[in-house]
Amino acid sequence: MLQRIYVNNFRCLENFELLIKGMPSALLIGKNGAGKSTIASALEVLQKISRGINRMRDLEKLNLISPKDFARGRSDVPIRFEIEVLLQDQLYKYVLALELPEKFRELRVFEEQLLVAGEPIYSRKEAQVTLHIGSQNREAQFMVDWHLVALPVIQEQSESDPLHIFKTWLARTIILAPIPSLMTGDSNGETLEPKRDGSNFGEWVSGLLSRYPAAYTQVDKYLREVMPDIQDFLNELIGKDSKSMMVRFAENNANLSIEFNDLSDGEKCFFLGAVILAANKFYGPLFCFWDEPDNYLSLSEVGHFVMSLRRSFNNSGQILVTSHNEEAIRKFSNENTFILDRKSHLEPTLVRLLSDVPVRDDLINALIGGDIEL
Amino acid sequence: MSNKYLPHIHVLAEDDANRQIANGFMLAPNLNNRAVKVLPLPGGWKKTVEEFTKEYASQMRQLPERRMVLLIDFDNDENRFNYVESHIPEDLKARVFVLGVLSEPENLRTDIKKTFEEIGEALAKDCSDNKNELWGHHLLKHNKRELDRMATSVKPFLFK
Repeated sequence: MLQRIYVNNFRCLENFELLIKGMPSALLIGKNGAGKSTIASALEVLQKISRGINRMRDLEKLNLISPKDFARGRSDVPIRFEIEVLLQDQLYKYVLALELPEKFRELRVFEEQLLVAGEPIYSRKEAQVTLHIGSQNREAQFMVDWHLVALPVIQEQSESDPLHIFKTWLARTIILAPIPSLMTGDSNGETLEPKRDGSNFGEWVSGLLSRYPAAYTQVDKYLREVMPDIQDFLNELIGKDSKSMMVRFAENNANLSIEFNDLSDGEKCFFLGAVILAANKFYGPLFCFWDEPDNYLSLSEVGHFVMSLRRSFNNSGQILVTSHNEEAIRKFSNENTFILDRKSHLEPTLVRLLSDVPVRDDLINALIGGDIEL
Repeated sequence: MSNKYLPHIHVLAEDDANRQIANGFMLAPNLNNRAVKVLPLPGGWKKTVEEFTKEYASQMRQLPERRMVLLIDFDNDENRFNYVESHIPEDLKARVFVLGVLSEPENLRTDIKKTFEEIGEALAKDCSDNKNELWGHHLLKHNKRELDRMATSVKPFLFK
């Protein structure tokens, strides 16, 4: 479970700390531009690194991080990311600081470190990486290109290697702001690493069902709750390596087959929700950040949907969501709702737990009135 | 899709504290998610009764499988339950339940040192496990008669 996120000098996040220790689910609310999605972007930088994209210019090509991202252009101070996460009862801390020396066009690594229970697994200053090996605390040193993050290139010793445990957890984090029109249900491979826009949803379904066939039952169970007339869904081979999803409905002895791509945007989100629940159950515990999970859903479904996510992550894994939707906001409480606020575009994001903020009126009325400021 | 012709329950929580308790209740792992909905807050126990009689009672008559819980504060007022009950139409009484903290939820929270959500989770666990631990608290035990009615009318579909 993620306990702490710290970001400094990245876009609107300056000396920003989000403490979510012990919260299986939490909500971020705040005005447009307050910095909610920027938290997802910061996490996505780390997620993409753990998935193997570790060259700074490659991350820039994905619009994840670039020299433009220093807060107010302040490139004399490093961009810093820190996360602390509890995995298998051990506290992992990962630190990455990036700098842009004068006359450089590409970011480079200034500092990098992975610690478990306070003991370093590896540490790095600029190009020099120091590996701390085993109980004898031997050290090995090597050099890495300054523009490469070391995390994905250090050799793992085994599946019980803390490096493997951390990298796998981080690579499998789910960061979502889905665009249903990009979720076609077609796939040309398998993955357990969904993209933020949901565009590889077909590959994710293929990967999940191929490695955990029993996950189908979990997905099916959820879909039947929200779409009682669903009969089943198929992920059929349509070429040598290509698959396409079909959804079949049945009622009163009549049947209807629909290509996944032709489902409504909201129905695609039901599938996405169902797959998240199954993924968390079968290869979790997972961390999930979903930017506005209420998008595309009818008002009658929002509460059920958010509550399903919260319940599923309540005993295992962790989910962080953002929302502007009244129904979604009401499904969280004062101890798991964070308010984000910025005084202006020139000032950084502030964050406080709702239980620490005096709200005189009903929260929704206060949000509608724009009355909540930190 | 929600099937309003199947047994379900709508919760009218008088204020934000009660809404958060309801949220915690709904986190119970074996709760039938589709069978419960928490409605927008009326804001005060009197408004809860007013909204119920003016708006929700007629809807209930159209939907025989709908039950409603009015989640109110009793504010240590001995007559409040009777007052609220007297405003529930006779033909709906079997499907409407009035629950709440004897004084107000803030007192319960202080007394047992749990958040509202944790209170809701503990109450749901009691219901699911057929126990009376938190429901037996001196600020909650007055709900017994209503809970007994709910055990036959609501519980069979509320938990999986």
